[in-house]
Amino acid sequence: MSAEHTQRLAPFSRGQCIVLGCLAAAPLLERVIPSLQLSSPLRTVIVFAIMALGLNIVVGWTGLLNLGIAAFAAIGAYTFGILTCETYPFQVGFWWGILLAGIVGAFAGWLLGAPTLRLRGDYLAIVTLGFGEIVQDGLKNLEVITKGTQGINPLPAPSFFGTVLTSENNVQWFYLYLAILVVIVWLMRNLEFSRLGRQWFAVREDELAARCMAICPDKTKLKAFAAGAAMAALSGALGASLLSSTGEPSNYDFQISILALCIVIVGGIGSITGVLLGAIVMVGLNVVVLPNIAESLQRNGIGSTSNVFSAPNNYKFLIFGLALVLMMRYRPDGLIQTKKAVRS
Amino acid sequence: MSAATTFTNTASTSANTGATPLLEIKGIVAGYGRVEVLHQISLTVNQGEIVSLIGGNGAGKSTTLMCISGILALRGGEIHFAQQRIDGTRADKLVARGLVQVPEGRRIFPRMTVLENLMMGAYCRNDRAGIAADLEKVYALFDILKLRSTQLGGTLSGGEQQMLAIGRAIMSKPQLLMMDEPSMGIAPLLVTKIFEAVRALNQEGLTILLVEQNARAALRLSHRGYVLETGRVVLADESKRLLVDPRVLESYLGE
Repeated sequence: MSAEHTQRLAPFSRGQCIVLGCLAAAPLLERVIPSLQLSSPLRTVIVFAIMALGLNIVVGWTGLLNLGIAAFAAIGAYTFGILTCETYPFQVGFWWGILLAGIVGAFAGWLLGAPTLRLRGDYLAIVTLGFGEIVQDGLKNLEVITKGTQGINPLPAPSFFGTVLTSENNVQWFYLYLAILVVIVWLMRNLEFSRLGRQWFAVREDELAARCMAICPDKTKLKAFAAGAAMAALSGALGASLLSSTGEPSNYDFQISILALCIVIVGGIGSITGVLLGAIVMVGLNVVVLPNIAESLQRNGIGSTSNVFSAPNNYKFLIFGLALVLMMRYRPDGLIQTKKAVRS
Repeated sequence: MSAATTFTNTASTSANTGATPLLEIKGIVAGYGRVEVLHQISLTVNQGEIVSLIGGNGAGKSTTLMCISGILALRGGEIHFAQQRIDGTRADKLVARGLVQVPEGRRIFPRMTVLENLMMGAYCRNDRAGIAADLEKVYALFDILKLRSTQLGGTLSGGEQQMLAIGRAIMSKPQLLMMDEPSMGIAPLLVTKIFEAVRALNQEGLTILLVEQNARAALRLSHRGYVLETGRVVLADESKRLLVDPRVLESYLGE
């Protein structure tokens, strides 16, 4: 009985190994088919996977609907920008930049969490939605610090053992981001089975019952908010480094929050493997599949970007919508189903 | 009001000479919004006793429990547990001190397995050996839980869920176990089984405060009882005397 608790936890589940392994093998496929663009766009997939994993803590594990996760990505990106950009006095470098972005993100998450503890369901969703808008407007209008709609640039690429990666080193860059993702997945898996993880599940299942088990729901929710926000901020910083710019504040709008939520839901709410798969499917379609199809069509002289109907990118939302409808009909619990919900 | 006070006093003087009070509630007042639900309720639970709290719908039974377990704030009065004042202490802190509630309507974690549910009960404990021993104790008490240990909590029947809720509370190593309507919506056969388990737990020394609408079953099980009516204690006596009290017979035992 207690064997389950004394048994050592394997560092990764089988599903996680398969998904991460497939990601790691992607650049090899690029070798086989040289025209394929994989490692470069897959970095974006990883960035979104990290954001969605953060959202999964809040939505999937603690059961709090957060529609403003993009705001934390923005906070992370701008923190990274201010701390690393050469036009600012700090210039702490890539690694300190992403670390501090995560910490500032956690603090921001805690700040949003504190006044909203009493809210649940729709009401919490509305407040987080508002928070997302406020952060965007704040960044836009704090021109002195954030440079308004220009965005902060240039931003440093990751450096590794003294070598600074450039756009030539896409494959190394990809593997570096993948390594960060692997560390995060490992952390998440340990969190899932930790005392804190149990606390989150208990609060999600039944707040009153959790209280009867000596769990303080308020503290538990705050920790979930902070952890989720920290991961989203980290993803924002990684994304900013990828673009060498924070981009303008409206890059972190409601659509990004919804995309992150779709990743969690399509992948399988609460499941780490599911969220990874969700990111690959949802973001991969956008940045890997469609551009590659477009390119090969163009190379073979079939389609052209000037023709609205023959450009695969224009079918993006159609495919998205269809995929969501079909998912809800045939796999309502997501690609990877965690323990099936029974009687709410 | 004056009648109520006299009854409380006679009960506490006649029935409990020499017993040490584990839980003492002194004139608590509480309510929701503008409505005052409890008007100066006083009651005592002594070490090793089963005390039942009976009364009709809206009498304030569950509210009393919510006040004791720290979920609802008091507007007046005091609550003492193990000689320490506890009103104003956060609910989750009280659990660690041994004041554990089995909430009304079972409230198990439906998407956790039976074993995971039980382990949640031991959340505030660190003694591995003690936890393992208590787990065996729970399985001995409710053998069905052992059979279903890998099943999700939500797939259990109502009665099994109630057993799980009680088992989970025992895993917190309570000094005082408070149960809110353990018989509600459960097949009579399982109610008997649950009440037998409650008696067995008490014989091992666990003090129990039982809130019940099923007055007859509760009074047969308990040592002493309090009758609540619209937020006041109207009767307090030994259970065997309450069982034959004409006022109780008429109002709650349907005779």
